[in-house]
Amino acid sequence: MSTSEQTTFAAAGAVDAVKVYGEGDTEVRALDGVTATFERGKFTAIMGPSGSGKSTLMHCLAGLDRLSTGRVFVGDTYLDDLSEAQLTELRRDKIGFVFQAFNLIPTLSALENVTLPMDLAGRKPDQEWLDQVIDTVGLRPRLTHRPSELSGGQQQRVAVARALASQPEIVFADEPTGNLDSRSGGELLQFMRHAVSDLGQTIVMVTHDPTAAAYADRVVFLADGRIVSEMTEPTAARVLDLMKQLGD
Amino acid sequence: MLRIALKDLLARKRRLVTTSVAIALGIAFLTGTQLLSGILSDSIKSLVGDTYDGIDAVVRSSKVQEVGFGNEIRTPVPEGLAGQVAEVGGVRASSGIVETITAQLVGKDGKIVGSSFGPPTIVYNWVEDPQLRFGTLREGTGPKSDGEIVLDFGSAKDGGYKIGDTVTVAGQTQTEQFKLVGLTGLGKDGKDSGGAKSLQFTTPVAQRIGQIPGEFSYIVAAADEGLSQDELAKAISAALPGEQVVTGERFSTENQESISQFVDILGTFVSVFGYIAIFVACFIIYNTFSIIVAQRTRETALLRAVGARRRQVLAATMLEAVVIGLVSSVLGLILGAFLGTGLAKAFSSSFSVKGGIPPITAGTVILAFVIGVGVTVLSAVFPAWRSTKVPPIAALSEVSVDRSDVSRSRLVWGIVMLALGGVLMALGLTDTGPNPIGEVGASALLILVAVALVLGPLIAAPMSRVLAIPFAAGGRITGRLAGENAARNPKRTAATAAALTIGVTLVTVIAILAASLKASIDNTITNSLKADLVVNTTTFAIGTGIPANIADQVATTPGVKIASPVRFGPVRLTDAAGKKYAKDNPEKKGPGAGLSGTADTAPSGEDSFMLGVDPATFFEVLDLGTLDGSPKDMAAGTFATTRKTAEERGWKLGDKVPMFFARSGEQELELKVIAQRDIGQSSLYLPLTTFEQVVPPGFNIDNAIYVVADSQADIPSVQKSLDALVKDLPTIKVQDLQEYAQSQAGPLNTIVLVIYGLLALAIIIALVGIANTLGLSILERTKELGLLRAVGMTKKQLRRSIRQEAAIVAVFGTLLGLVIGIAFSVALSIVITADNPDIFSYQLPIPTLVAITVIGALAGVLAAILPARRAARLNPLTAISSV
Ligand SMILES: Nc1ncnc2c1ncn2[C@@H]1O[C@H](COP(=O)(O)OP(=O)(O)O)[C@@H](O)[C@H]1O
Ligand SMILES: [Mg+2]
Repeated sequence: MSTSEQTTFAAAGAVDAVKVYGEGDTEVRALDGVTATFERGKFTAIMGPSGSGKSTLMHCLAGLDRLSTGRVFVGDTYLDDLSEAQLTELRRDKIGFVFQAFNLIPTLSALENVTLPMDLAGRKPDQEWLDQVIDTVGLRPRLTHRPSELSGGQQQRVAVARALASQPEIVFADEPTGNLDSRSGGELLQFMRHAVSDLGQTIVMVTHDPTAAAYADRVVFLADGRIVSEMTEPTAARVLDLMKQLGD
Repeated sequence: MLRIALKDLLARKRRLVTTSVAIALGIAFLTGTQLLSGILSDSIKSLVGDTYDGIDAVVRSSKVQEVGFGNEIRTPVPEGLAGQVAEVGGVRASSGIVETITAQLVGKDGKIVGSSFGPPTIVYNWVEDPQLRFGTLREGTGPKSDGEIVLDFGSAKDGGYKIGDTVTVAGQTQTEQFKLVGLTGLGKDGKDSGGAKSLQFTTPVAQRIGQIPGEFSYIVAAADEGLSQDELAKAISAALPGEQVVTGERFSTENQESISQFVDILGTFVSVFGYIAIFVACFIIYNTFSIIVAQRTRETALLRAVGARRRQVLAATMLEAVVIGLVSSVLGLILGAFLGTGLAKAFSSSFSVKGGIPPITAGTVILAFVIGVGVTVLSAVFPAWRSTKVPPIAALSEVSVDRSDVSRSRLVWGIVMLALGGVLMALGLTDTGPNPIGEVGASALLILVAVALVLGPLIAAPMSRVLAIPFAAGGRITGRLAGENAARNPKRTAATAAALTIGVTLVTVIAILAASLKASIDNTITNSLKADLVVNTTTFAIGTGIPANIADQVATTPGVKIASPVRFGPVRLTDAAGKKYAKDNPEKKGPGAGLSGTADTAPSGEDSFMLGVDPATFFEVLDLGTLDGSPKDMAAGTFATTRKTAEERGWKLGDKVPMFFARSGEQELELKVIAQRDIGQSSLYLPLTTFEQVVPPGFNIDNAIYVVADSQADIPSVQKSLDALVKDLPTIKVQDLQEYAQSQAGPLNTIVLVIYGLLALAIIIALVGIANTLGLSILERTKELGLLRAVGMTKKQLRRSIRQEAAIVAVFGTLLGLVIGIAFSVALSIVITADNPDIFSYQLPIPTLVAITVIGALAGVLAAILPARRAARLNPLTAISSV
């Protein structure tokens, strides 16, 4: 890790982030002044009702979308100043992704999917780290399989491995367990927890499942594009309580 | 249901257009050439009609000789006939006409005006009566003395001449200078220019240059006021029963027809390439519909689930095909109209093209619609029928892409089709079946379909991966993805590539045949021609050659041992084989109206060409293997041939073979020499003594003089002395054997280039197909592309990957085409060799074949530019979230 990264407290964050869709009557303020930081080496969950701006926030943090006003940063880089091409490179080198579904390229093997960002960058993966990641998510016997030959849970594990493989600044996961049964979901969350605790990774995960949120170190609650609450050391019961309170 | 289909169609306008473009291009080409032929024919007809407007009757000989390509040369009539015609009652005016193709116009730059393949240069005598004269005087005067000339204004312009200039004319006996005193043009006011270049001299000069001293080509007459053309013709033929008399109208029509015939042949030749293009387009339509149907599987299943019947599903897809067909036809017609008129404009520099609305006939429109709709519907039928097989349950499955596997039955079918194609090919090529051309064509079709559509999918995936290796070298993921993407849908890849395969196959066959023919010419010349130098004519126009006095001068040049001149002329073989040929291939033209007096008198037979040679030297200079009989016996009235011809026609040494010559009538020549080897040119060798007596005017001229140097002579210095002899003759060159071989292959190069140009259309359509498939595939892969962009694939990498995918598909198609093309060419060469064992030498032009492959790959890349750009423009976010 570079010195600047060591001295930076947050892995990523947003300052007064505003995202407006549409104009006039159809205007939607998906993000309405969000300021938040995501600590390095921590597992953060973002929760909130449907339409509250969780995905929008994540997309903007990850350089997939741009804010209307405000700023977002990853590591020591403000994304708002970057060109399209620079954003692409940043996503490739500094950010990991796990989407709810369709995470893998069907024509590539599991291993190729894992190393895809590095291959795109023309970099050799750090073999030791790669082995560690693969073992962590338990993929070793499936490396040569095509995605179509893997179960949903296995596919998501490959996605997590890909997100971690390039040792990114931060990993964003948008409802990664949304399409999984509870057992595979639990396993996946376990792997993510493990990656943070034992491998020192930083993960931000969007979820609306209190059980999933309980795996995180901290939960941030969004409603109507604003941060309305947050909680550290969450448990499923406490999260559920808070959700009920916020829902009123 | 139909409303759904229509809505669907309108929602995908871009696809509608790109799919239509493929067929439309083919239709545009077909209708465009039809229009061009129409415009040219119309223009020619009106020009010719104007030209012969004042002529009411033509008196001419009934002796006529075919000289190839539907052209004929009539025997001249004696000069005195003109006077006899003039005295016939009812003739207001008459004149003898000299009309020969025995001279070329030399431009100010010393080069011959016009090309060997273009319209002919015609020598005329100046006719005082403007009504009977060829062309209209638009400037200056007629030739008053033998040193003066009148040119058509187009040729004068091309040659760089103005009135008062000294004009050079290369005749058959000498190159002469004349003073330009007048310019003519066609049409009533002399404004139009027509294909033929006309040189008009005083009558004695025209007769001398035309090689018909004391003769006229024909006599023209104008009728007294109130007398019809028919009446005049009848009056003349009553007075002169031995001659043939035709009305001016018929004369004009004959002239129009002989030119139109040429335009028609050209049009037919060119339209073959239009049909090839449309065949290619079929593959594209088929492929597009296969993809569309596959992508719509879920939609179709849903419709089926809510109660749509199979017939309705089929109707919906067929409706789309009909609409695409209609759009293509209309697009094609519009493009074709532009193409036709545009091309006609390009021609208008060499002769006046009538302006106005292009003559779009009902036939052209019907052709466009029949082909447009017919071909599209036919190509879509199979995919559409497959769409009806989608079970309603498929609505629930995830798969929306055609992943049906390539099966063993496919392999079996492919092999059966290949075998059938092979058998047909063998039948056709060995001429054992009933219709050789049909068999070869059908077999080529079968083999192409078998390899491209049936077997292609079996090898498409592994081939794609192999072809991706250079792109994926060093672990480059874009190349790997490109290969996998080309491999993921073998049927689609194979069908897309197949479109290109067709064009490449044809290009390959042409390239190999051309190279082989060139090599054969080279071989023949080096193996058979024992000459050191050749005095040769550099233009191929009929009637050009080496002035008669040159041969003697060459023979007496120091260092020359042998000078053997060769002449070239038409003959009709009226032997048993010739009569049989005439019976099997009856002539189309009948006597018809407007003809009186003696009808054409040629006996039936097979038209061919002969060489006039000097028996004493010819067989020494040209090695035709062992000779049966001796050239010494080749006195007048004899001839020689090759064993192949003798066997084919059933001739034996000493046979008296009947031949017809317009000039001298039918006569029997005795076969005195049979040569072992046949070198593929004309295989009838007549001694010059006989040749001179029988050929029509214009042909009695040396085409080449083979020169053997003394054994101790220095060849370059002999060549220098010979060069000096012909330095004032622009059409004559002294060549060593290598130059001679090159000049013999010259026309081949031109023809090959033209064919390549015409095949380019098929290849362009194939590229439209690649672009089309790629566009549809990208649509299908939207999510995947979004994901790739999200995890860090740059736009540049994405574009590169898609270009590489296209290159892989294109190279796959090209390689298939090369393989099939080489196989076809080998089959052809076996047959050609069987026929011409002494001369044919098979040759693979490796650099050309490599160039074809590279061009194929580059073309694929070109086709991918737009789809790649469109893919790169995808917003990763919307791509990911799209369902
Ligand atoms: N591309 C878009 N165009 C218009 N509105 C959008 C777009 N994306 C999201 N929105 C709106 O922004 C708000 C936040 O959406 P999102 O971030 O997806 O919420 P969440 O992920 O919390 O369900 C919603 O009201 C949604 O309708
Ligand atoms: Mg969301």
